[in-house]
Amino acid sequence: MSVREAAREVGLRLAAASRLNAALAWSEAALLAEADRVDGMPARGALHGMPIAVKDNLVTTGLPTTCGSRMLAGYVSPFVATAVDRLRAAGALLACKTNLDEFAMGSSTEHSAFGRVLHPLDPERVPGGSSGGSAALVAAGVVPAALGSETGGSVRQPASFCGVVGVKPTYGRVSRYGLVAFGSSLDCISVFGRTVADAALVLAEIAGADPRDATTVDRAPFRPQPASATLEGITIGVPKEYFPPDLHPGVQAACDASLGRMKELGARLVDVSLPHAPFAVPAYYIIAPAEAAANLARFDGARYGARARGDGDVRAMYRATRGNGFGPEVRRRILIGTYVLSAGYQDAYYARAQAVRARIAADFTDVFATGVDFLFTPTTPTPAFKAGEKIADPVAMYLADIFVCSANLAGIPAVSIPIGRFEGLPLGGQLMAPHFEEAAMLAAAATLERHLDGTKEVAP
Amino acid sequence: MNVSEQDVLHMARLAELAVDPDDLETLTVQLDRIVGFVGQLAGAGDLAARVLHPDGPERTPLRPDVVNPAPLARPPSAFAPEFIDGFFVVPKLGVIEDA
Repeated sequence: MSVREAAREVGLRLAAASRLNAALAWSEAALLAEADRVDGMPARGALHGMPIAVKDNLVTTGLPTTCGSRMLAGYVSPFVATAVDRLRAAGALLACKTNLDEFAMGSSTEHSAFGRVLHPLDPERVPGGSSGGSAALVAAGVVPAALGSETGGSVRQPASFCGVVGVKPTYGRVSRYGLVAFGSSLDCISVFGRTVADAALVLAEIAGADPRDATTVDRAPFRPQPASATLEGITIGVPKEYFPPDLHPGVQAACDASLGRMKELGARLVDVSLPHAPFAVPAYYIIAPAEAAANLARFDGARYGARARGDGDVRAMYRATRGNGFGPEVRRRILIGTYVLSAGYQDAYYARAQAVRARIAADFTDVFATGVDFLFTPTTPTPAFKAGEKIADPVAMYLADIFVCSANLAGIPAVSIPIGRFEGLPLGGQLMAPHFEEAAMLAAAATLERHLDGTKEVAP
Repeated sequence: MNVSEQDVLHMARLAELAVDPDDLETLTVQLDRIVGFVGQLAGAGDLAARVLHPDGPERTPLRPDVVNPAPLARPPSAFAPEFIDGFFVVPKLGVIEDA
């Protein structure tokens, strides 16, 4: 099949999947233009002609970038994100921009100004978030891989809900240039794939130092490793804080089955403790909103954003623009971020959250120093929940990220793979690794993937 | 209550964010719940400082303090209605109209 024929097929699949509301911007003309561009390139790698969807908080010059917000409706960037640029240079097709929680703030993709994304297997449920559009398109078979972004688990959590692979690299492994900033010390471009191998191929292409992002690290290139026949010689830590007594029975059963299979494959399992893990979500919901409040100050109707009338006074214009342009979750986080940074509260909230973050990172360092290669945990505490179930209770929504946000606070890599289903809904298991150990982590994940039926119904 | 309606209005002023009066009560309840939730960090115990990014080869490297132009798909003059002699022409403060 030629690249042009493949592009037409993607267009047909996008049209057929339109009920999911997962794609925000795409056109057959743009797809064919991408195909013609790739056809003119020498074929040089596995990504040549591969269609890839891109979360709509990564800027592109050919398609608008809205961040799922009315604030940026119709905005077209004058430059392209490094990660997207590298994929296109490798011959990948930019298939579409994908729906997301507004400015990547959410865990269900219900907080998009352009409507919620539907779960591909059950339209009454959410696909997770904030990268729910990318997850849904991979799960529906529209594209083999997609880019998302994580600030507190926004790729692994929807990957778990939708039954696909989600990889978050080490902070600094992938350039954030062109990723609309949410929490700059946490933000991490991440990858969805149908398989670990697909996701690893995409990650290998976008990884590497970038002079336009000073937080990228100049390390040896990330090279995917094949799955091994066994897990002999590998020690897997099982942190007790991630297996509370009230864990969903389906999630517990799927994790038990995965741990049993890892043992059969030769891995050594050890119980470990990450004592500050219970404080990860509250620390995250101080640090991330604080950084968001600063980063989103630029959306004021003068620098960025659709300007609203403000009765003549420039500050009234700012307030009207931001009050009208941001949705309720973004407004809440800006207010919380402003609160925790304000005089009289900064030490009690922000400074303490930073100290807790340091302890959370130290917990991981200490465990890995004992000879543990990887940690295994559930990715999410439950399968995908119903739309509207948590929308009125922000704290209940935040707790959907309870097992994923620690990796963002510590900056370590992690991957979620499908490990079974409960009443037809996918469940994910997570491996976490020391900084820059993505290659070994993904090889172990691929081995487990090969020996585990991620679509098998579990029996609690 | 950790957060009052006056606190919410104060934060909104600092953040340059209009708050609809009809939303104020609900927003206050939600923010109060969130602040109460994150306040559990007070129970995190002794948090003596631990150096995570020591000096030495692994410390965060500094890059040359050089400004590099970004590769733009269209010139700066296309970003605003008026661009004269390298400067954007912006409306005078106080007379801003709808875009």
